[in-house]
Amino acid sequence: MAQVVLKDLVKTYGSVYAVHDVSLTVNDGEFVALVGPSGCGKTTTLNLVAGLIPITSGDIVIGDRVVNNLDPKDRDIAMVFQNYALYPQKSVYKNLAFPLQMRRLPREEIDLKVREAAKVLDMTHLLERKPRELSGGQQQRVALGRALVRDPAVFLMDEPLSNLDAKLRVQMRSEIKRFHQDLKATIIYVTHDQLEAVTMADKMAVMNGGYLQQYDTPAQVFAHPVNMFVASFIGSPAMSLIPLEATSVNGETALSSAEGWTLALSPRNARKVKKATSKKIVLGARHSTLKLHKSSIPGAIPAKVYTVEPTGDVTFVQAFLSGAVVNISVPPSVSVVPDEQVWLEFDQERMHLFDGETEMALNAE
Amino acid sequence: MALDSVSRSGGQRIDGWRWGGRFFLLFMLLYTAVPMIWMLITSIKSGFAAMQFPPQWWPREPTLASYQKLLDPQNSVGQDFLRFFWNSLYVSVLTTLLAVAVAVPAAYAFSRFSFPGRKFLFFSVLLRNMFPAVIFLVPLFILMRWLGLVNTHGSLILTYLTFGLPLAIWLLKGFYDNIPVQLEQAARIDGATRFQAFILIVAPLSVPGIIATAIYSFIGAWNEYIYAATFLTKNEQLTLPVGIQRFFSENTSDYPGLMAATFMMSVPVVVLFLLLQRYFVRALTEGAVKH
Amino acid sequence: MTIMTGQADSNRTKPVVRTSLLQQMWTSRTDYLYVLPAIIVMLIVIAYPIYYTIDLSLYKTPPGLLLKDKIWVGFDNYVAILGSEIVWKVTLNTFIWTFASTIIAFILGYGAALALHRDFFGRGVIRAILIIPWVISAVAASYVWKWIYHSDFGLIGAVLVQLGILDHQPNFIDRTNTVLPSLIVVNIWREFPFAMIMLTAGLQTVPDQLLRAAKVDGANAWQRFWHVTFPYLSGVSTVTILLLAVANFNSFIIPWLMTGGGPANASHIWITHIYEIAFGRQRWGVGAAYSVLLFLILMTMGYFYVRALSGAEKKEGP
Repeated sequence: MAQVVLKDLVKTYGSVYAVHDVSLTVNDGEFVALVGPSGCGKTTTLNLVAGLIPITSGDIVIGDRVVNNLDPKDRDIAMVFQNYALYPQKSVYKNLAFPLQMRRLPREEIDLKVREAAKVLDMTHLLERKPRELSGGQQQRVALGRALVRDPAVFLMDEPLSNLDAKLRVQMRSEIKRFHQDLKATIIYVTHDQLEAVTMADKMAVMNGGYLQQYDTPAQVFAHPVNMFVASFIGSPAMSLIPLEATSVNGETALSSAEGWTLALSPRNARKVKKATSKKIVLGARHSTLKLHKSSIPGAIPAKVYTVEPTGDVTFVQAFLSGAVVNISVPPSVSVVPDEQVWLEFDQERMHLFDGETEMALNAE
Repeated sequence: MALDSVSRSGGQRIDGWRWGGRFFLLFMLLYTAVPMIWMLITSIKSGFAAMQFPPQWWPREPTLASYQKLLDPQNSVGQDFLRFFWNSLYVSVLTTLLAVAVAVPAAYAFSRFSFPGRKFLFFSVLLRNMFPAVIFLVPLFILMRWLGLVNTHGSLILTYLTFGLPLAIWLLKGFYDNIPVQLEQAARIDGATRFQAFILIVAPLSVPGIIATAIYSFIGAWNEYIYAATFLTKNEQLTLPVGIQRFFSENTSDYPGLMAATFMMSVPVVVLFLLLQRYFVRALTEGAVKH
Repeated sequence: MTIMTGQADSNRTKPVVRTSLLQQMWTSRTDYLYVLPAIIVMLIVIAYPIYYTIDLSLYKTPPGLLLKDKIWVGFDNYVAILGSEIVWKVTLNTFIWTFASTIIAFILGYGAALALHRDFFGRGVIRAILIIPWVISAVAASYVWKWIYHSDFGLIGAVLVQLGILDHQPNFIDRTNTVLPSLIVVNIWREFPFAMIMLTAGLQTVPDQLLRAAKVDGANAWQRFWHVTFPYLSGVSTVTILLLAVANFNSFIIPWLMTGGGPANASHIWITHIYEIAFGRQRWGVGAAYSVLLFLILMTMGYFYVRALSGAEKKEGP
């Protein structure tokens, strides 16, 4: 196993930047998820690490070697593809054996390794089948097995679960996580599904528009998103972002809405707001930090219920507030109906404040 | 349509279309098959029986004499015919092998790589289909004379390559476009070079396309007339289309013999095509016709 | 939302990376190896002849193909061609031949593909029979049809006489007013299967859902064809029509072997005419000038051809 370092990585197509100055370090044995919406550059970044497309500038270091100009076959990596990329004309056995044959291992050793991998992944009985005779989950396993037999320095995974149905996806998610724990493998995992990234990865790199937005543990990214993009991308339902304006009420800093209400701020939040480049402030709140009241209490903001989605454990309520849709989760015992007038109470400790111009998170210090 | 008690108007309309389709098919079948059937019937008549009015719709005394004459290595007609047949086979097989060997890498490159000029080269290759053989005859004859290839089968093979290539490359390119690029990427990560990934993974998957290409080249070479008529003058080198034309321009009234020769010339390509046509349609569906 | 910059400084500008063309060509030099054989063959057999033909068209040439004593005459050959009467006759013939063959072959092929789209007993056999004329050589087709059109013992004439429609054997290909249509019938016989194959392949790509949706919307068979299938296949249709048109414009064997352009030039088209001038009368320079004119016509057609093909080749490389 090895660590992977990306230094000022750039990939351009003509004058279009696909990857824009990405730098990050994946420590030995770490599971890192590259996450972002489609077209954000995450798959390009993975392909650059794999050597499938040439880099424009910057450095890629795997272990202690700079691999910028090495062929994929010389980078000591394995990759699992979204569509599995199993060789359709080869049996499962031959699919697993192919990377070993390419390395000219002796036949007996290949056989041993293939059977061992098959055993680990519980597919010994499938070895003679062709890929098209397997279910999606089984194909996924073969793809994983083909990466596994190699014992590579780094595993690269490109949305390996996105072609599976929901139930299988949850199951494979825990299998891959288990696989990582058992092997202490270095894994770079690309996904557009933030839930996968949050649940599986040691660290996540959130990308957008070719830029690396934030690189940290899922807990940190969740608790302290650096900008509005990360805030709205991570977490489900998404963080509510309410555009407001900084104002002053009796000398105290507060936020005012075009709807006429104002929200008083704690001293710490007031300090944050003072750092903004303009009066435009965006208030962010996750659904679980909002309290819904059925009658007016001091400090709570009036809002109108739009939809109600009971899920069993919790009920998600959407309401309109200052032109933005706000998500609130309430216990199933609370009954609200659409168009009902409710009052929302914000948690001063857990609210997020963003600069409305730069869209960056505001800090007190 | 008195029996049609259910949904009278709808049923009748569908029936109308279906019957229209059937009549159309019947007409097309007659148009297509009657000339071929008449060829076969004529070929088993004697020369005298063929030249009668009104014609014998079915020969009163069917005879295989024409076929015997063409296939008998003892008589001069048979010797010529068998030699023409062999020449055609030789030229067509070699053309086919070379066409596949040249078209496969080219189509792959056009599908996968993005080198400068790729589009221009691709379309200039396709443009070849635009130009008729006749306007190339004189310069190519001079070129072949300069290369020392006049009166050799090499001149034909080289020329046939070029009119088979454009469609072959086009068909195969469509095929390669449909093979996920991830398969090669996987192979390259698994330790293969780009070339190995192509030979070990992609080429075997494109076998249906290669077969379609091969049929097309073979049929094109087998049926070609103009270049063969211009580049070859020695009787022992002629291919079937030219050989038959030369022979029967001297024996203009031997229609049974001509029909028998025409039939035998058509058998190899027809059999080959009917056996492998599903690859051809598949190659078109997956390659050229895709949306 | 337009959040692109993240932690990065939003005003940072980067020099646009532009590598020179030569540099790009050098870095992809191994890619060219794959296409090199095809290019070499094409160069030998196309580029050189084109150059040679243009050059030759400016000379007056003696008979025989040694061409030693050719005399520079500039554009005299072209002037002679455009001033001759036969060129317009041949052009009209070529237009009728190409247009009629292409349209009728396309319609018949389209109809056959549609009629054979729904599965029924014997479909495979019928389809196979319909394809055969396309596979056999034009030389074979010419002889078979020459025999069917024979002025004394031809099948069609005999049937017409026996049915009492005509009182004597008609003369299909020895009369100036019937020869061209008669040859077009032969040409279509050989070519409609190509249209059929292309459209059969095309029909398989029409999504069933689309047709079912139209059916649910109350469209009848004709409306489903006209509003769903036909527009869906417009790409394939264009390519097919163009390929047919180019092939027909360039046909040689059928008119040459069946009539040699006669009687009285009634079945001469451009290609047979060029062949006769060059190889029959050995006027190589004039033949070359004709070829160059043909080139210009073909290049115009080629423009549309490439445009249609690049439409079919929508997907770009990686």
